[in-house]
Amino acid sequence: MEHLKYTPDMARDWKNAIITPEGYLKKRVLDSMNASQLESKLWLVETLIELDIEPKRVALLAGWFAQYIVPLLFDNFRSCEWVENFEIDHDVSPISYKFNKRYKDKNIYKINMRNVMMKPMRMMPNPNLPVKPEDIFDVVINCSCEHMFPMWKFRDMNERYHGKPLYVLQSSNATQHDDHINCVESEDELIEQSRMSTVLYSGSKILSNESTRFMVIGR
Amino acid sequence: MNNILCVNWGNKYGREYVEKLKQQCEENCSVPFNFYCLTDNPTEPYDIPIPTTWDSHENGKFWAYRKLYMFDEDKVNIEGNHFLYLDLDVIVQKDLSYFFKLDMEHPYIVKGWWNDIEVCKKNFAKFKSPMVNSSVMRWDRGQLKKVYNHIKNNLDVIFFTYPTIDNYINHFWYNMYDEENSFMSGFPKGDVYSWYKGNIYPNDMEPRKNREYCKICLFNNSGETNDVEELKTLWST
Repeated sequence: MEHLKYTPDMARDWKNAIITPEGYLKKRVLDSMNASQLESKLWLVETLIELDIEPKRVALLAGWFAQYIVPLLFDNFRSCEWVENFEIDHDVSPISYKFNKRYKDKNIYKINMRNVMMKPMRMMPNPNLPVKPEDIFDVVINCSCEHMFPMWKFRDMNERYHGKPLYVLQSSNATQHDDHINCVESEDELIEQSRMSTVLYSGSKILSNESTRFMVIGR
Repeated sequence: MNNILCVNWGNKYGREYVEKLKQQCEENCSVPFNFYCLTDNPTEPYDIPIPTTWDSHENGKFWAYRKLYMFDEDKVNIEGNHFLYLDLDVIVQKDLSYFFKLDMEHPYIVKGWWNDIEVCKKNFAKFKSPMVNSSVMRWDRGQLKKVYNHIKNNLDVIFFTYPTIDNYINHFWYNMYDEENSFMSGFPKGDVYSWYKGNIYPNDMEPRKNREYCKICLFNNSGETNDVEELKTLWST
């Protein structure tokens, strides 16, 4: 996969998103749009296509503004009907909704302000009741594993309700950033951290910023 | 009963810091109070052994979290309803009775008025530049049990993710985006200032300036080593 589709709708939404932020937020938006960000998302979608995976309801963990991954999912997978971005950053919501306004308006994209390492994706009032179909995610994407506690914790909290979704995980060896609290040195380390037992894909890629990105896909 | 607490763990601060803090409280608090020190080396009547329940989670970031045991007053076995916590490296400049007369709808923590809120917001998700500082806290019995339980139930994630208590509280219990609805309130402007960082951004930021009109002076220094001799010199002024 070499590109994302720059459609008139996308152009309109992105223009509105990019002109809004000022000060530090403007820099953050620009940081979120660098070449490495796009490379890693294209790699992810390309690999899902090669594996014949058809995501339906996607939980996107710490997706930031999600201006690349959301259109890539909806444009490349006819099966995709819902993307929910779980974030803790207060600044994300208004800008991400601008970037993805066309999906928000169709009610197929949502931001959920929630720390997914502390609370499950859905709070179950009664664990004995069946989970509603609209609450089940079949694919969990986390391209920010280096920013958070190892993914086994998330699995522990959620799998009793959501079964065993497919996990698509990316992390990095770029330890120079303060907020990279959980870098890994290999895809095997990422597999180990997530306690993945069935691995469909594992690999690494050197990105434009010269860091190595690791990706694993499995259950 | 009013309680003033401090914590002395390890060898960063000697006993003289505890004694000096106690002396400052006795000289600057016009309401009755009990003074306690939570410590791993209890030797004085006012010392309380600090619990060790979370010690197995030591990972290089945990050490400062020890002071949060006091959020469960039963755990540290202290009676009374009103609590004021002070770090050992503070200068008490005014009558501490002020803190026991505050409206206690919410518990209090130091809001770093010296911070540029834009920087705090920028760094929120980077676990840096918290708006709050836990060098001084004021609460009534039971108000912070919720925080204690949150830590107890998420020890591994919290100690792994948040490099300092201030960062942790900044993420979960203080809302700089909507302070009216924050679980913890910040002490009012001018109550507490920072020796190294200033008082109020952007107009009163001169470091190392004695501001006698403030009630407490902190020696927080963003991880840089404090100048101990400088603090001790100020004790005697």
